[in-house]
Amino acid sequence: MMSSPPIEVVLLLAVALGLPLTAFGVIMTLTRSQPRVSAIISLGAIAVAFGASLSLLIAHWGMPTPLVYEITWLVAGELPIPLGVLLDPTSLLMLTVVAAISLLVQIYSLGYMAGDPGFGRYYGCMSLFAWAMLTLTVSSSLIQLYIFWELVGLASYLLIGFWFEKWTASEAGKKAFVMTRLGDTAFLLGLILLWLNLGDLSIAGLNDPQVADRLSPGQLTLAAVLIFGGIIGKSAQFPLLTWLPDAMEGPTPVSALLHSATMVAAGVYLFARLFGFFSLSPAVMTLCLAVGTLSMLLAASMALVSRDIKQVWAYSTISQLGYMLMGLGAGGFTAGVFHLTTHAGFKALLFLCAGVLIHHFDTNDIFRMSQRGSRRQRLTLVCLVIGAAALSGLPPLSGFFSKEMILAHLAVHAHPFWLAAGLLGSFLTAYYTFRLIFVLLRPAAETPSDDAEGHHHSEPFGELCMAAVLVTLAGLTVVLGFGQGALTHFLSAAAGAPPPAPAHHLGWLPVVVLTLTGAAIVAAWWEFARQKRSETGWVDRFPTLATLFARRWYLDDLYRWLLDRVVYGGFSRAFTWNDQRVIDGGLDGLGQTVIDWGAISARLNRSQIQFRLMVLFAVVAVLVLYLAFA
Amino acid sequence: MQVHATSFPFLTSLLLCCGLGLAIILLLPAHREREIKLVSAVFSGLTLVISLYLYLAYDRDLGGQQFAESWEWVPALGIRFANAADGFSLPMLLLTGIVFFTAVLTAWELNYRVKEFFALTFLLVLGVFGLFMSLDLFFIFVWFDVSLFPMYLLIAIWGSTRKEYGAMKLTLYLLAGSALILPAILYLVVGAGLSSFSLITLMQEAVFSPGQQRLAFLLLYIGFGILAGVWPFHTWSPVGHVAAPTAVSMIHAGVLMKIGAFGILRVGIYLCPEGWSYWSPVMAFLATAGIVYGALVGLSQTDLKYVIGYSSVSHMGIVGLGLATLTVDGLSGAVYQMFAHGIMTALFFSSVGYIYDRTHTKAIADLGGLGRTLPRASSFFILAAMTGIGVPCLASFWGELVVFLSAVRVFPIYGALVVLALVISALFMLRVVQKTCYGPPLERYAGLDDMGNGAMVPRLILAAVIIGFGLFPGALFDMINSAAIPFIEGVLG
Repeated sequence: MMSSPPIEVVLLLAVALGLPLTAFGVIMTLTRSQPRVSAIISLGAIAVAFGASLSLLIAHWGMPTPLVYEITWLVAGELPIPLGVLLDPTSLLMLTVVAAISLLVQIYSLGYMAGDPGFGRYYGCMSLFAWAMLTLTVSSSLIQLYIFWELVGLASYLLIGFWFEKWTASEAGKKAFVMTRLGDTAFLLGLILLWLNLGDLSIAGLNDPQVADRLSPGQLTLAAVLIFGGIIGKSAQFPLLTWLPDAMEGPTPVSALLHSATMVAAGVYLFARLFGFFSLSPAVMTLCLAVGTLSMLLAASMALVSRDIKQVWAYSTISQLGYMLMGLGAGGFTAGVFHLTTHAGFKALLFLCAGVLIHHFDTNDIFRMSQRGSRRQRLTLVCLVIGAAALSGLPPLSGFFSKEMILAHLAVHAHPFWLAAGLLGSFLTAYYTFRLIFVLLRPAAETPSDDAEGHHHSEPFGELCMAAVLVTLAGLTVVLGFGQGALTHFLSAAAGAPPPAPAHHLGWLPVVVLTLTGAAIVAAWWEFARQKRSETGWVDRFPTLATLFARRWYLDDLYRWLLDRVVYGGFSRAFTWNDQRVIDGGLDGLGQTVIDWGAISARLNRSQIQFRLMVLFAVVAVLVLYLAFA
Repeated sequence: MQVHATSFPFLTSLLLCCGLGLAIILLLPAHREREIKLVSAVFSGLTLVISLYLYLAYDRDLGGQQFAESWEWVPALGIRFANAADGFSLPMLLLTGIVFFTAVLTAWELNYRVKEFFALTFLLVLGVFGLFMSLDLFFIFVWFDVSLFPMYLLIAIWGSTRKEYGAMKLTLYLLAGSALILPAILYLVVGAGLSSFSLITLMQEAVFSPGQQRLAFLLLYIGFGILAGVWPFHTWSPVGHVAAPTAVSMIHAGVLMKIGAFGILRVGIYLCPEGWSYWSPVMAFLATAGIVYGALVGLSQTDLKYVIGYSSVSHMGIVGLGLATLTVDGLSGAVYQMFAHGIMTALFFSSVGYIYDRTHTKAIADLGGLGRTLPRASSFFILAAMTGIGVPCLASFWGELVVFLSAVRVFPIYGALVVLALVISALFMLRVVQKTCYGPPLERYAGLDDMGNGAMVPRLILAAVIIGFGLFPGALFDMINSAAIPFIEGVLG
C-alpha cells in the first residue's frame, strides 16, 4: 500500500532539507565572523523549509496512502542503506511542527542572542540541527532515522555547550551526549537485530503485522526493548532523565527548540513512527506505559521544589513526554501524537517567555525575578499564563484537549492504576506550574532602579522579534486545540497507525480532571500568592522529601558513583595499571634480563688473564686432589 | 584473480617520485631549507596526484589487479619486481598520498636538521607505497623493513617525551614482528615448492595443508598485528606516538599502522584462508579486547598524545574485528575503517602538533580555553574528535557501522560489547575536548597566534576528505567491494 510521490515533491523536499545543511556549511566555513549575514542565511534556509513543509501538509491533507521515495546511499556488502523520504500524516505533521518552531525560535534568537560573540556559530549550529531534525522526521528507514538521530545529538551537544567557556555548560553538553549515547547503543543493537532477522529496515515494512511471523516472540520483544532504550535516552525518560535539566545551561532559545519542543520529542516520535511494530509486543507496550508514568511522576516531583524557571520547565518537559508515552503505551496513537504537537507549541512558548524574563532580570531564580518586579513584564506574563494554563490542561487551550485525550484513553483501555497516576500527575502539574506563576505575579520588593530595569538594553528590532514570536505561539496555543477533530481524522492514514477507535466521550472525566486542576491551582494560590513573601510550599515542610526531589531522587549521585568508582576508578585504572606494570613492566623486565645475561657472558669473555689463570690453577688443583684421592 | 597489465608504469612512477625526491633532497645543501621543503612538497604532491589518478582510473567493473607491472629480479629464486593495485590497495595508496602530502605541509615549520628529516620521511614513505602495491612476498618483506628503520631515527632525533625509550621500544617491537614474518614467508614459499615468491602464483597454484596454513597465518597475524596495534602487543604504539614529532606521528598512526592490517589481509588472509577461519575467533577476541581496553585506558591518560594513541588502539581494534568476521561486510568495513582512521588520526596529530608547538605542553591539565585562544586549531581538533566518536556523516562512522553489523551477526557477544564501548569512546573524546578547548581562556596563552592560511591548508584537506567520504561513503565502499566481494566468493563461497 505504498506509492511513490510525484517527482516535484521529492525535489521540493530535497531542496528544503538540503538548504539548512548548505547554510550550516557556508556559515561554519565562510561567514562565521559576520553575524548578520549568518543569521540571514540560516533564517532564509529554515523559512524555505517551513514553506515547503507547510505546502506539503496542505497538499496532502487527504492523503490515502503513505508516499515513499528512496535512493541508495550506500551498499556495504549485503546491507543497502537508503536515503529516502516517507511522507505520511505523522511525518508531515512533525515536519511542519519542527520547521515552524525552528523558524520561530530562530527569529526570537535575533533579539535574544544579539551581541553574542558566537552569534554566527549559533546560527550555524541551529542550521545543523534543523537539517538533522527535519531529515529525521521524514526518514524512510530505521537506519536512516538512526543516522540523523545521532546528528541531532551532535547538534544538541554543540548547542548545550554553546557558551563553552562556562565549565557547567561544557559539562552539561558532555553529559547529554554520553547519556543519550547510552540509549543510542541499545537502539543500534536493536536495529542490527532487526536487520539480521528481517533483512529490511524500512519503516513501512517494520509496521507490517507480518513482522510477528518472521521473528520469534523473544527476538521481537528484545528488539523492541532495545529500540525503546534509545527512546528513553533521547526523550530523557527514567532512568536516563537527569541530563535534560542540566542541558538548560544552553541558551534559552536552544532549550525551547531542542530540549522541549522538538529534539527530545524525537524519542516519542520514534515510538509513534514504529507504533505498528511496538504494538506487536504487549510487554513493550506495558514497559512504555510504566516508564512513561514513572518519569512523569518523578519529574513532576522534582519540579515542585525547583526555584529555577528553566529547570521547572525542563522537569515539566520530561513529565509531559512521559504523558505522551503513557498515551502511546496504552494504544492511543492519535492521543500521543496530538499531545506531542500541542506540547511543542506551548512548551516553546513557556521557554521563550522564560528567556525574556531571564534576559531582563539576569537571573533564573523565580523568587529573585518577582523581587525585581517581574509582574511589570505584562506581555510576557500574559503569554506565560496562557502557556501555563495550557500546560495545566485548562480549557479552551490546546493542552486541555490533548491531555484529555490521553487520560480518556487510559480510562478506557488501561488498568485504573494508570489513570490514577495520570490524574495525580495532572494535579502536580497544575500545582508546580501555578506555583511559578503566582510567585512571578507578586508585587516587586525592590524599587526599580536603572540597573535592575535596564540590565540589557536590547535594540528595538530584537525586542520586536521576541514579542512577535511570543504572541504567535500564544495564538497557536489558543487555537490549536480546536483542530482536534481534523487532526484525528488526518492521522488515521498514518503508517503503522491503528484503525481509528470509536471516540469515547466520558462525561465524568473532564469534571474530575478540572476539579483536580482547580484544587491544585487553589493550593498554589493559598501557599504562594496569599501569604506574603513565603518561599516554601507544603513540600518544603518535609525536608527529607524536599531534598529527595531537589537532588533528583539521587539518580545523579548514583551515576557519579558508577562513573567514578566503576569506570574511572575500576576498569580504567586497572587496565592502565596492567599496561604500565604487567605488559610494559614485563617487557622492560625482559629487556633488562637480556642486558643482565649479556653482562654475565661479557664477563666470561673479558681478557682478565690473572683471573683466568687463577681459575685454571684452581680447577687443575681440584682435579689433581680428586684424582689423587679417588 | 585477474591481473591486467598497464601501458604506462604508473605504480613504479609513484615509487620513483619518492626516490627522486629523496635523491634531490640529498643533493641539496643542508642550509637551503626552503628549497628542500619546496622539493618535498612538490614530490609528495605528485604522489598524491598519481594515487588520486589511479584511484579514479581503476575500472571497478573489470575488477582484479590492474596497472600491473612485472620485471625479473632474481630469476633463480623466483623473485620478481611485481606491482599492481586493486580495490584493497588503491584506498591505501590514496591514503598514503594524502597523509604524506599533508604531513610534509604540517612539517613546514620545522627548522632543525631539515634535510635529514625530509630525506628520512621520503625513505619511510617509499617503503609504505612499495608495500601497498607489491605482489611479491620478497618485496613485501623488504618494503616492510624499509619503512621501519627511518622511524627509529625520526623519533630519536626529532622527538620529545622519552624519545630514546620510545624509539627503541618501537623498533624492537616491530623488528620482533619482522622476525615472525620472514620465517612465515619462507615457510610458505618453500612449502609450496613452486620456487616463486609471487603472491598471485602462490594464491592460484600452491596447495597448503590446513596445518601449514594455521601455523603460517598465526605467525603472519602476530607479526603484522604488532604493527597494527593488536592487543596485547599495542604498548609500543602510544609510547611511539607520543615520542614522535608531529609529521611522523601523522604518518605513523595514519599510514604505518595500516601496513600491519594490510599485511594481515594481503599475505595472511590471501595465502592462508583456512588459517584465517581457524584463528578468527581468537582474532575477534583480541580485537574486542583492544577496542574496549583501549578506550578505557584512554580515559585516564593525562597526556594529549597518549589519549590519541590509545584511541588508535581502540579504532584499529575495529579493523581487526572486521577482518575476523569472514564476511564481505566485515572485510569492506575493515578496509574502509583503515582509510577513515588514517585520515582522522592524521588530522588529530596535525592539530595537536600545532597546539603543542604553541603552548609547549601536551599535559591535558595545563591546557584549557583553547577554543577562544586558538579557535581554528581547536575546530580541527574537535572535528577529529567527533570523527573518532563516530558521528554520522563523518568518514569513520560508516566503517564502524558496517563492522558492527557484521560483528553482531558473527560474534553476538563481542558485537554487543563493542557497540557498548561507543559510550566509553564518546566519554573519553569529549573529556579531552572539554579539558583542552573549553573553559575560560588561560592568561598564559593569551598572545598565541592561531593558524594562518598556510597552516590551514593541510588541515583543510584532511577535513574535506573526512566530510566528503562521510557524505558519500559509496565512493570508497564501491572501490573496496570490487575487491572484497569476489575475494570472499572465491575463498569461502
